[in-house]
Amino acid sequence: MESFRFCFLMLTIAILASPALSDLVLSKVDRRIYLTSHIVRISSTMKVENAGSEKESKVLLAFPEQQAKNMAYLIATPHEGKGKGKNPVVALPVEAANPKDMPAALTLYSVSLPKGLAEGDSFTFDVLAVFTHALRPIPEQITQADIQLVLYQDSAHYLSPYAVKVQSLSVKLPDSRIESYTKLENTKIHGSEIKYGPYENIPSFSYSPIAVHFESNLPFAVAHELVREIEISHWGNVQVTEHYKLIHGGAQSKGEFSRLDFQARPNVRGASAFRYLVANLPPRAHSVYYRDEIGNISTSHLRGDSKKTELLIEPRYPMFGGWRTAFTIGYGLPLQDFLFESDGKRFLNITFSSPMVELVIDALIVKVVLPEGSSDISVAAPFPVEQWQETKISHLDIDGRPVVVLKKTNVVPEHNQFFQVYYHFSQLSMLREPLMLISGFFFFFVACIVYMHADISISKSSASYLAKQQWEEVQAVIQQVQNIISRCLTTHDNLEASLRDLSRTGNIQACKAARKAADGLLKELSKELKPLLTFLQSSPSAAQVLPKVEELVAKERELQEKVMVKHSTVVDGYEKKLGARDIENRVALQQQKLTALRQEVDDLLEFIDEI
Amino acid sequence: MAPPAKAITSPVPDAWYPTLAVFMLAIGLVLTASFFIYEATSSKRNRSLAKELTTGGGFGSLFLLLSAGVYV
Repeated sequence: MESFRFCFLMLTIAILASPALSDLVLSKVDRRIYLTSHIVRISSTMKVENAGSEKESKVLLAFPEQQAKNMAYLIATPHEGKGKGKNPVVALPVEAANPKDMPAALTLYSVSLPKGLAEGDSFTFDVLAVFTHALRPIPEQITQADIQLVLYQDSAHYLSPYAVKVQSLSVKLPDSRIESYTKLENTKIHGSEIKYGPYENIPSFSYSPIAVHFESNLPFAVAHELVREIEISHWGNVQVTEHYKLIHGGAQSKGEFSRLDFQARPNVRGASAFRYLVANLPPRAHSVYYRDEIGNISTSHLRGDSKKTELLIEPRYPMFGGWRTAFTIGYGLPLQDFLFESDGKRFLNITFSSPMVELVIDALIVKVVLPEGSSDISVAAPFPVEQWQETKISHLDIDGRPVVVLKKTNVVPEHNQFFQVYYHFSQLSMLREPLMLISGFFFFFVACIVYMHADISISKSSASYLAKQQWEEVQAVIQQVQNIISRCLTTHDNLEASLRDLSRTGNIQACKAARKAADGLLKELSKELKPLLTFLQSSPSAAQVLPKVEELVAKERELQEKVMVKHSTVVDGYEKKLGARDIENRVALQQQKLTALRQEVDDLLEFIDEI
Repeated sequence: MAPPAKAITSPVPDAWYPTLAVFMLAIGLVLTASFFIYEATSSKRNRSLAKELTTGGGFGSLFLLLSAGVYV
């Protein structure tokens, strides 16, 4: 078995190679391995002491190569102590290390201590290492009725380049059956927790393999590929669309699937399957949708409060080992929660990974789509990612929107931290979109105008074409005549209004002035009318309309005269200071005729209009 | 970050989008209608009206799209 070979290799190395390392000694190591999820987390509290004379500033952490291949996340923080400090914990810088005289089957990381460790000093820090795909399902294929058993292998002694004085290990398992576990000295089991240790004075590079074989029915949700697209619109919305390709990463399911058994007794027939997934979206998420290639999936529940929006989704079928499903989740977020401005640059501050709880992602691609017109784009991420730029053509785009693509493999929920994308955008560029719509409408109207203007008749000298031309000219002239007549009528109305003013205020001079103005205006209008009338008389195609037009003009003249007469009568009356009733009597007859005439003129205008 | 970051919002408040959409579209439609009526009835063509209507129609359709959820 592999572990035997590895153990042998380790022993050989321990015996043969005694590298001259720094004189650091780990005085106390407490390790806790959490197997309560398909993501394995190892949290170690280490107290390192400087037993030598030189000042040390780096501590090496060693992981066996096979384990290191599965490692997704590593963070070291100074130890908090009993009372939780109020200061936010600042991580210690960790980097991959390659010291010369180290065995090849180890992967090493070096932690930089904040202040160097002087002689005799000690420093306590916590290390959290997160591993994916570290639980091996054994047996590898199970039927629907079998329980899922997984195997975890590690070392009871902490593998370290330094000697360890006191160490202990506790393995926390889920509340289910423990099939078997390696029993070494000092091994105790309390319920679902196995304690190994304490072990004292263990030399460096000591490795004592243990294996725990236990039942795990937790959802082994693995996203084989996740594409997360974040589209920013400066009009007030950040749209996040996530495309998932999900696999159940546990023991492969073999044999038939009986839906009846599964629904009747789900805990017996299909304990290892999972039916739902929970995602914690940011608060104030709106317009959440859940669909796949077929269409909308209605089996979902959404619950929001001020801290988060919880989305519970059920795939179209329960997920058994090895089964796959693909779906899309989308939601909108308010812009002011995520987009900020500082130093003249705008930046987007948003979480990197999926909002789903306890999901392992094999390949995560995050695409940030910035509005068109953004320039000077840069990304600040809390961990190394691969990045490049693309273009996406979307609504109302001319060239396309710049897209920053970030890619990371082996992602765990600890990676769901905030990252920033900085870019420069001038406020004027926001006008680009309404201007595009406006220009669209403008061109449409210009096209209409051009169409009306365009003369697409083939023969320019045919009789019907010429007749049409002439008729159009006549129409134009008639419209002008109508225009003039309506201006005359408004002048009459003005005169009437001046008469009413007179009756109210008694200001005769103003009335006379109005009369003078009206006179002048009417004279001008009749002058304008003359050439139009001559044209109409001369053109042959106006023959039908001409009598009506002439009648209209004549009637209008009559009306004009009558209005003038009435006006002078009333003014005279006021000058002679007659009573109002007298004046009314005098003009009564004229008034009747006036109204009749006016009615006729209006009728004629309407009639001509309709031709 | 030395200067405090200021949150960016849309230049027009979100809550106004539907109202603005309705009003501007109404104006745009009225102007479009009058444009076509004028075109159909007069024999001398016009030009200046076209410019007026484009702004009404353009902004109206933008706010219509935004209030419908198509954040362009």
